[in-house]
Amino acid sequence: MRKKYFASLISHIYLLLLCFFAVFPLLWIIISSIKGKGELTGNPTAFLPKVVTLEYYRHVIFDLGFIVNIRNSVIISLATTGIAITISALAAYGIVRFFPKIGTVLSKVLVTTYIFPPILLAIPYSIVMAKLGLTNTRIGLVLVYLSFSIPYAVWLLVGFFKTVPIGIEEAAKIDGANKIQVFMQVVVPLVAPGIVATAIYTFINVWNEFLYSLILINDTSKMTVAVALRSLNGSEILDWGDMMAASTLVVVPSIIFFCLIQNKIAGGLSEGAVK
Amino acid sequence: MKTRSYTKWLFVLPAVIVVAALFIYPIFSSLFFSMTSKNLIRPRYSFLGLKNYKDILSDPKFWAAFLNSLKWTVYSLLGQILVGFTAALALNRVKLFKGMYKTLLIIPWAFPSIVIAFSWTWILNGVYGILPNLLVKWKIYETAPQFLTEKNLAFIVLVLINIWFGAPMIMVNVLSALQTVPQDQYEAAKIDGASALQSFQHITIPHIKLVMGLLVVLRTVWIFNNFDLIYLITGGGPAGSTQTVPLYAYEMGWGTKLLGKSSAVTVLLFIFLMSVCIIYFTIMNCWEREENK
Amino acid sequence: MRKKILSAMLSLTMLCTALSGCGSSAAKEESKAPEQNSSEARGSEEKAEANAELEGDITFWHSFTQGPRLETIQEAADKFMEEHPKVTIKIETFSWNDFYTKWTTGLASGNVPDMSTALVGQVSEMINSDAIIPLNGLIDDIGRDKFYENALNELSVDGNNYAVPLYSHAMVMWVRKDLLEKNNLEVPKTWDELYEEAKALTKDGIYGLSFPCGSTDFQATNFLNFYVKGAGGSLLTDDLKANLTSDLAIEGINYWLKVYKDCSPKDSINYNVLDQATLYYQGKTAFDFNSGFQISGVAANSPDLLDYVDCYPIPTIKGTEQKGITTSNQPLVIWKNSKHPEICEAFIKTLYEEDTYVKFLHSVPVGMLPAIKGIEDSEAYKEDPTIQKFAHAEEVISSQIPGGTAIGFEHGPSVQAGILTNQHVIEEMFQDIITNGTDVKTAAKEAEDKLNSLMEAATQ
Repeated sequence: MRKKYFASLISHIYLLLLCFFAVFPLLWIIISSIKGKGELTGNPTAFLPKVVTLEYYRHVIFDLGFIVNIRNSVIISLATTGIAITISALAAYGIVRFFPKIGTVLSKVLVTTYIFPPILLAIPYSIVMAKLGLTNTRIGLVLVYLSFSIPYAVWLLVGFFKTVPIGIEEAAKIDGANKIQVFMQVVVPLVAPGIVATAIYTFINVWNEFLYSLILINDTSKMTVAVALRSLNGSEILDWGDMMAASTLVVVPSIIFFCLIQNKIAGGLSEGAVK
Repeated sequence: MKTRSYTKWLFVLPAVIVVAALFIYPIFSSLFFSMTSKNLIRPRYSFLGLKNYKDILSDPKFWAAFLNSLKWTVYSLLGQILVGFTAALALNRVKLFKGMYKTLLIIPWAFPSIVIAFSWTWILNGVYGILPNLLVKWKIYETAPQFLTEKNLAFIVLVLINIWFGAPMIMVNVLSALQTVPQDQYEAAKIDGASALQSFQHITIPHIKLVMGLLVVLRTVWIFNNFDLIYLITGGGPAGSTQTVPLYAYEMGWGTKLLGKSSAVTVLLFIFLMSVCIIYFTIMNCWEREENK
Repeated sequence: MRKKILSAMLSLTMLCTALSGCGSSAAKEESKAPEQNSSEARGSEEKAEANAELEGDITFWHSFTQGPRLETIQEAADKFMEEHPKVTIKIETFSWNDFYTKWTTGLASGNVPDMSTALVGQVSEMINSDAIIPLNGLIDDIGRDKFYENALNELSVDGNNYAVPLYSHAMVMWVRKDLLEKNNLEVPKTWDELYEEAKALTKDGIYGLSFPCGSTDFQATNFLNFYVKGAGGSLLTDDLKANLTSDLAIEGINYWLKVYKDCSPKDSINYNVLDQATLYYQGKTAFDFNSGFQISGVAANSPDLLDYVDCYPIPTIKGTEQKGITTSNQPLVIWKNSKHPEICEAFIKTLYEEDTYVKFLHSVPVGMLPAIKGIEDSEAYKEDPTIQKFAHAEEVISSQIPGGTAIGFEHGPSVQAGILTNQHVIEEMFQDIITNGTDVKTAAKEAEDKLNSLMEAATQ
């Protein structure tokens, strides 16, 4: 009994320590973003702000129009996730049910595409998008994002669909439902948790993407947050206050989002792809 | 019977079309350009055969970058697994505050790479950063340590940042795999007189082996291909000491504008990753077969 | 069944490659299209269209990413669109670093703007890859004799002017008068004096002088160039090869290594121009080298220090007058891909109208000095309080402008000069010496060879 108590004490200490490291950068960017002008660089070791100001937030939101970039990122991430998940769910189901043999080959091919270094694809994509007249458009970016979202999503989803017992589908078929109906009304509800988990993975990957949006988007009003943030670093005056405020604006919503859905992400791999 | 075979195509065709459309051109154009003298900003080029590949494979800078890539991948991966795994075990043990710990621990995962770069370069900044200044103030160091600008330290710091970012994903997945292990097996083992280590080895490990395997594959590919983190934090410097293969390819393509060579680098990168994955999958197939026995 | 899939996929593949094949050959032809006659053709075209109403959309990329500069350019564009209702000017902004990635990638994919700002060192690359068009007609229109000859020359090849200078600035030495006074120091005139004073001032959280050699920028090249060019030397030989192994260059490299070691924050090994300048803006460095942009930087970051900021000519080895000055003339270029060069030209012309122009210059007072003569004496220009307050600084900077050139341009404009700054080889050399302890002469030779091979490749 004592041993058990000791082990859990160690666990608590270890977890507290890890929590400190995990949270400190977040805490520090938030604190830095509300410090008064001059305090940031004047006294680097002071922990708490002397003067609390929201001036950097005002500047970032109203003068630099950062909300527009957040909106772009949300639109692009949602669109990509929606399209990718629809296409991938269909494909994953198709692979599992109708093409189990080609399926194994096909999912290997899909994994292969995931291996492609984004840096290899960047220039060809910029050429293709220019030819299609889609450079500098959100649609173009969504299309490019499908390149890494779909393979990954199919791969994860195949695992989830494999868990659906075929008996249930047979029963539905006897009731006269066609393939699409079976899929929509019987299978999808069964794997809904898996679909949600995959959607979240996709969303996060897209939200965080940097290289393609750097290369494909020129218009400030269409930039995603990642690139807009970076342009703060290259602007004419290096203002850490602005950078911290903008970082906070980007990261806090996604953290809240993460916390809300954390139990769903947990299911992710262990329930899905493995089986 | 005929109609049946048409509907089933409806399921897979969209994905096949999109993936084919998105990959065929880039793959062929990269392969093609990798054999030419294509320059990023000039229209004319000539065919060189395998010269680019020969040049790259004889460039010591490429091998330095390759070595960096290997180190970067292996160290980050091991670190992420170590931290993620132990955190998951600890989480699995505690009951009090479990939800709070878990919530706080996944925070790094929500950071986009640019924000990771901003927050850590700010914390570690040699002039304004809190950590170097504190270390000087506490007299641990005489002058501010160069966390991101001294070659050995910069590499280690990059790896640590990557561990910070990647460990939560491992943790979350391992934790949920741990929760699928049936508790009665542990009870049974205990009755049989197995030690904690033994039951870990014989019950826990087999149950989470496949999840771990899969995570390793995903993480390996991700870390090896990762460009943003290093590019945004050190840009590959100082003196190329943190330059990995993707950065080398970027430098080739946009710095010196030798698109042909840059394509060759990425093709090599792809071939390498491909072989690594084949090895991984072979191992995992073995595991799976063992399990099914 | 399986065969069907295969054949479907195959035909898809073929279709895709066929399509892309067509595309690229078409693009190639396009780029081979009219080359030489465009300048003449457009001269007459423009006259013909002077009366016709301008119509069309243009995109303008510039790197004035923030604040009043961005606004004045936007205002000028708005005004132009009001006067020409059928014209739309779309402005997109990038930092200087991203801009380079943007236009090089853009050129590969056929996605470049109609007009843009550029860095002097990049203009020769743009000319070399046949990306921009000559603007002789435009310059004649504005008035050729209004521009400084040096400024026009460094943007010209074979008598064609490929860019118009929008504003000028010169590199000078910035000092903190209060720190000098407190320590009883004079403004240094020689490099040795500067080093000694910078070393003495490196204390209490202040650095004497930061030496930036981040490999995403060309600051180390810039600093080395001050040393070499001021003594009458050059980083290029007369036949346009890199020259880093001359005694003078080696001396310069050693000098800056000394400064890095004793007077500079160690992180400056990764600094770009902005990191470097920010130190001075924040009052963390006593000396710095930059243009008049320092003033607005200090004003924005630490207004209390404004009274102590001033500039002087860059030191020389013996304290004599400099034999070579580094200036920069901000070029505006029109891209060959543009469908409406006439609109670009008409718009650029309005930027030089006195009201607009003075307002633009005032958006970074003393930072941007007029590229055309006569403006600096005008009442309107002198009206600005910052220009009045920093009369000495303005005088120092503008006295340098007529005699200066950009880095490596002392031999006239060349692709080689561009490579000196754009490839960051010199920065890597410094990093190599500092990080790996490589011998200075060996590293210099290596960097020189690398630059030479890059130059050779670029001029083939």
